Amino acid sequence: MKLQIGIDLGSTAIKTVIARDGEILWRGRTNTAPGQEAHATRLIESGLGELRLTADAVGGVAVTGYGKKLFAGARVRVDEISANAAGLFRLSGGAARTIVNIGGQDLKALRLDENGRVTDFRMNDKCAAGTGRFFELAARLLDIPLDQFAAVSRQARLELELNSTCVVFAESEMVSLLARGTPREEILKALHRSVARRAAGLLGRDVSGPVWLDGGPARNAGLVEALEDELMTEIKVLEEPQHTVAYGALLALQAAGDG
Amino acid sequence: MSCAGAPPDRRQRIEQKAAQKVAAESEQLLAALRQREDCRPEFEAFLRCLSTTSAASAADAARRSGRPLLKLLCVQAPLELIHAAGFHPFRVFSGSLAASALAAGNLPALTCPLLRAVLGELRLNAAPAAGWVLPATCDWVTRFPEMLRLCEVDDSSAIWWLELPRLKNRADGRERWLTEIWRLKEFLERLAGRGIGRNALLDSIAAYARAAAARQKLRQARIEGRLAPLWFMLVMSAFFLDEVSAWTASVERLLAVLTPQRTQARENGSGRVFLAGSPIVFPNFKLPLLLEEAGLSVVADDLCSSERIFPGTTVVEDESLFGLVSALAGSYHQGCLCPVFADNERRVNNIFNQRDEAGFQGVVFNVLKGCHPYDLESYSLEAPLKAQGLKFIRLETDYTQEDRQNLLTRLEAYRGIR
Repeated sequence: MKLQIGIDLGSTAIKTVIARDGEILWRGRTNTAPGQEAHATRLIESGLGELRLTADAVGGVAVTGYGKKLFAGARVRVDEISANAAGLFRLSGGAARTIVNIGGQDLKALRLDENGRVTDFRMNDKCAAGTGRFFELAARLLDIPLDQFAAVSRQARLELELNSTCVVFAESEMVSLLARGTPREEILKALHRSVARRAAGLLGRDVSGPVWLDGGPARNAGLVEALEDELMTEIKVLEEPQHTVAYGALLALQAAGDG
Repeated sequence: MSCAGAPPDRRQRIEQKAAQKVAAESEQLLAALRQREDCRPEFEAFLRCLSTTSAASAADAARRSGRPLLKLLCVQAPLELIHAAGFHPFRVFSGSLAASALAAGNLPALTCPLLRAVLGELRLNAAPAAGWVLPATCDWVTRFPEMLRLCEVDDSSAIWWLELPRLKNRADGRERWLTEIWRLKEFLERLAGRGIGRNALLDSIAAYARAAAARQKLRQARIEGRLAPLWFMLVMSAFFLDEVSAWTASVERLLAVLTPQRTQARENGSGRVFLAGSPIVFPNFKLPLLLEEAGLSVVADDLCSSERIFPGTTVVEDESLFGLVSALAGSYHQGCLCPVFADNERRVNNIFNQRDEAGFQGVVFNVLKGCHPYDLESYSLEAPLKAQGLKFIRLETDYTQEDRQNLLTRLEAYRGIR
């Protein structure tokens, strides 16, 4: 059985999954930079190298994400909403019905039917509020590494309100709070709640059953807790939530008979 | 980019720069259209009409028609009446981002982008006209004269308001509208210095009926896949830029060469959509191009910039002057689907009625940021359309290009929904 490769050429990161017959053998990511095709190719080579396999073993490559047209060697190109739905549905064992995806510059809410097909979706417009960019900005301003967001925000004693999810206004607001001596953990907690509110707004209030959160920021347990509090429902996160979309793209190869 | 109150040399420099950008927007789109595989020589008549800025196009339209212009916003003023008075009805429309940016500094941030662009273009070049006829439609249009002043547009043309009854289904509303149309007739006669006779009006009604018949054939060609939706929209965009009979003749020449060979499979149902909502105006063809890129085919629409740019054939039962004016008044009021009306059930029914004929499976609803009537309507329509099994997507956008990728992602996903 040949390998299938899924690539998600996102706005901030390139994610790649290598699988055989739907079983994930390798995952990798690199930051998005000019020359996305070359970066993606190197990522694939690195994965094949770790698996001690060569390009001959590859049956097909499927690409999704904003840069999907930039990868010439793709056999299948699929939009990231469909890829997200397919990937998460499969990885959740067919359980996912509601998904919130937080990407580098967009925020999506998806609803699926019992076959994993998208029945409805919402997506932010061109505003980057509540997206990965927002967290990057906060990490820089607050000087806290992204992987420590959850631990730091749990130390907050007071519940602050961050009034804006607009990246520009939130930056001024955070700067102003810092200048007033507000503890960073309280600002961070407020930021989590602010993003959670925005995601919940996109999803609407009629949420039944668990919500599956994916995309890079889903690794932030502080955000997961905030979203749980906001929606008052269980939030489920897979082990590698930033790779679900690339995996979903790969599944499109199978659907196209190439896997 | 506002230059109101700026020193004259600075203002001149900014306006020159804006004029270049406005022209470049049209030129870029026209060049791209001419390079398409499905571009035919028969499209040239329309492409040429659109080859200049809207203000310059107005002057060209006056020259082509050999008539003085009468400028319009919106679709409720009977074109036949204006035509019969000896004027060329010219709808001032603009899809130019640069023109919109030019006027932006003088207006509230959330002003309708279309009107902002119109004001920017008029600032650059307000083509001479006999007057304006403005139906009082949305809030933005009713403040248009004020906006002309705020944007320092040098346009001294007389403005004639048509007070538009927002209740179409009430007898007193219809009567008031009929009175408005009679008053418009008097205004036009004063402006022209001559009366509008029954025969002249009959001739004009016949000319627009021929245009409506040609449009109907174009619609059919689009439904059958003989004419790409983008070209349909382009042909309709050129409607006010030529004399009505000349436009009709150009459409007839085009229809003669539209062969079934380009037929898109009718069974490709999930890609066939109805386009509704705010007008899409040349050269801002961002959304039509993205729809195409996403594999969606607009087989019908209700845009007042496209299929609804002029009403259907006016049905005349009584050929007296009173009968003709009454028929026109009814056609332009009762038949209008503009969301400014309070009783507008026809709008949703129109979509259902066209569904069988055009075979679409979904509705794409375009909302121009700041276009409040359509914005609200998009929320009202979603539930009844979905209840009838039509998939629905609402896209809110403006004249900028920066949300292209975001829109494309949504359209591609929308296409996949069954």
